Amino acid sequence: MRMTALFWEAFLIAAASLRANKLRTALTLLGIIVGVAAVIAVVTIIKGLDRTVANTFSSQGSTVFSVSKRPMVILSREDLVRFNKRKDITEDDAEAIARLCSSCWRIGIAVNNPNTLVKYNDQKSENVLVRGVTLPMLAIDDVNLAAGRAWTETEETAAHRVCVVGADILTNLFGGAPPEQAIGREIRIAGQPFEIIGVAEKLGSIFGFSRDNFIYIPYEAYKRAFGARTSLIIFVQARSADELENVEDEVRTIMRNRRGKTFLDEDDGFALETQDVFLDLYKRATSNIYLVTIGVASVSLIVGGIVVMNIMLVSVTERTREIGIRKAVGARRRDILTQFLIEAVVLTAIGGVIGVGLGFGCAYGLAFALGFPTLISVWSAILGVSVSSVVGIISGSWPAWRAAELDPVEALRAE
Amino acid sequence: MLTAQVQEEIVPYGELLAQEAVPAALISMRDIWRTYQMGEEQVHALRGVSFDVQKGEYVAIIGPSGSGKSTLMNIIGCLDTPTRGRYWINGKLVSEMDDDELARIRNKEVGFVFQTFNLLPRATALHNVELPLIYAGVPAAERRERAKRALMAVDLADRMMHKPNELSGGQRQRVAIARALVNHPSILLADEPTGALDTATSREIMNLFERLHEEGNTIIIVTHEPDIAARAHRIISIRDGRIEKDERVK
Repeated sequence: MRMTALFWEAFLIAAASLRANKLRTALTLLGIIVGVAAVIAVVTIIKGLDRTVANTFSSQGSTVFSVSKRPMVILSREDLVRFNKRKDITEDDAEAIARLCSSCWRIGIAVNNPNTLVKYNDQKSENVLVRGVTLPMLAIDDVNLAAGRAWTETEETAAHRVCVVGADILTNLFGGAPPEQAIGREIRIAGQPFEIIGVAEKLGSIFGFSRDNFIYIPYEAYKRAFGARTSLIIFVQARSADELENVEDEVRTIMRNRRGKTFLDEDDGFALETQDVFLDLYKRATSNIYLVTIGVASVSLIVGGIVVMNIMLVSVTERTREIGIRKAVGARRRDILTQFLIEAVVLTAIGGVIGVGLGFGCAYGLAFALGFPTLISVWSAILGVSVSSVVGIISGSWPAWRAAELDPVEALRAE
Repeated sequence: MLTAQVQEEIVPYGELLAQEAVPAALISMRDIWRTYQMGEEQVHALRGVSFDVQKGEYVAIIGPSGSGKSTLMNIIGCLDTPTRGRYWINGKLVSEMDDDELARIRNKEVGFVFQTFNLLPRATALHNVELPLIYAGVPAAERRERAKRALMAVDLADRMMHKPNELSGGQRQRVAIARALVNHPSILLADEPTGALDTATSREIMNLFERLHEEGNTIIIVTHEPDIAARAHRIISIRDGRIEKDERVK
């Protein structure tokens, strides 16, 4: 009862002094607001990205891995030189896997040609990812068609010049006409004529990059039109995520045999990777962002705490007489101590709430501008307000102690 | 135990008697000294003050400035503790109490009225009067009710929600008196209560004190004004830290 009354009393005083000194309050709380807002903004954005990334990479899913000459992520020039010295991945490798791997479900070959110019009459689409793939790749990539059909095995082996296009191609070349109208049209891919037989469903964008700016063409047709690529990428799909590891082991063994390597060799001579590589890279990047943010936030919270301590000391001095009055009517040391602590906590908690609001606001603004989703985390809001309250307790304790220790006679004499 | 014995050896015989019996008076002071250390020098604000105040008395403490009357008032009100001597309120030896116990005595036994009112400027009259009850741990509803009654008792029923700067000097002092009385203290202790008021308002406040006295309150007024002191029933004159005169006038 007594504590509730004291809390309410302290809360009213804090609110009144905040109202009385709006500018001073705002400046006092700046450090805490910035610190909390930074954490909230970054957490909100990264949580949003996490979800996007998870959704995106699950389209191929955790049942697929690739075998390639170079890994998808290369971090140094030395590595690049080393990887370039490896033998190319060839059709023979793919055939060997297909023949020897009993646990493999689907095996596809892909060659990628990014940044290709595609034209239809005077309409053009730039930076298109053109992929020469064998038929299983459409299933492995889980390509769903909005219109038309995939090519047949006959068309594949006969190297028919047909293609399945992404939604961006439709927008760029046919002004967003319905997918059905694109079927049968002849477009030019890097100058070579291809007939559209299928249009894929729209996938949307991630981090502002479209995932619909692609064209699939039959692997044989790709070779015929653009020449044999030096090294291929083989994609292998397991029947389930549980089997993935076994399938990987089997393919790795087959490939090591073909490269004359054993598990004792330091380098397999090829890269066997799932999309976890991207997830790992992403996680490493975001954890660095978290670290930097925590650093920035800590500095602003420390500075903010010192400012709050300073302002609380000023407040104690300004209100010496008030403290004297309270002591004269029966406030004990701990009552005064509690009052000023609560006041400091209310002050910094308000800063925390403003910081949380500002942080969410910034995250939304940025997310809206860059076109990716955000995810509000209630925990980050609770954490933001709690941390700022703890700052209040820490920075309020010395001023509160000084207030509590004031001699009532002296305090009543103060002006 | 040993220290107690040593103390007893140096206490004069007369005081030893006083020490043993807990006085029946409301206020009882025995050889109160208050000494301040000013650098190298010791300044004695009080030099052995002894007196009793019975329940229901109306006492004025007078003396020129620097006589020690403010120090005496602070000690009576338990804002300060004597350097030496013994002081009882209601049979409780307050001169030996620690800070928290003194805060409790100030809360329950003493109601202060100050020259400069000492109200919280940002709080309403009602909230100012509630303040002692907050520290007494009185539940909110009862607190509010008692504070309202105390304000009505000083004829401020229509000013409860006003802040001090919206009230006249006399009204402010009446709020302060309501605050002093709200927790039913044993002593109403007023320090120059009319010092900041004009003559007419002073008279009004002094009439209020008279009424409160008739209602059974024990009142101690510290003042340097003879006409204020003349309203009391007993005048204690202080000079140079000692009681110069202690006379019953009514």
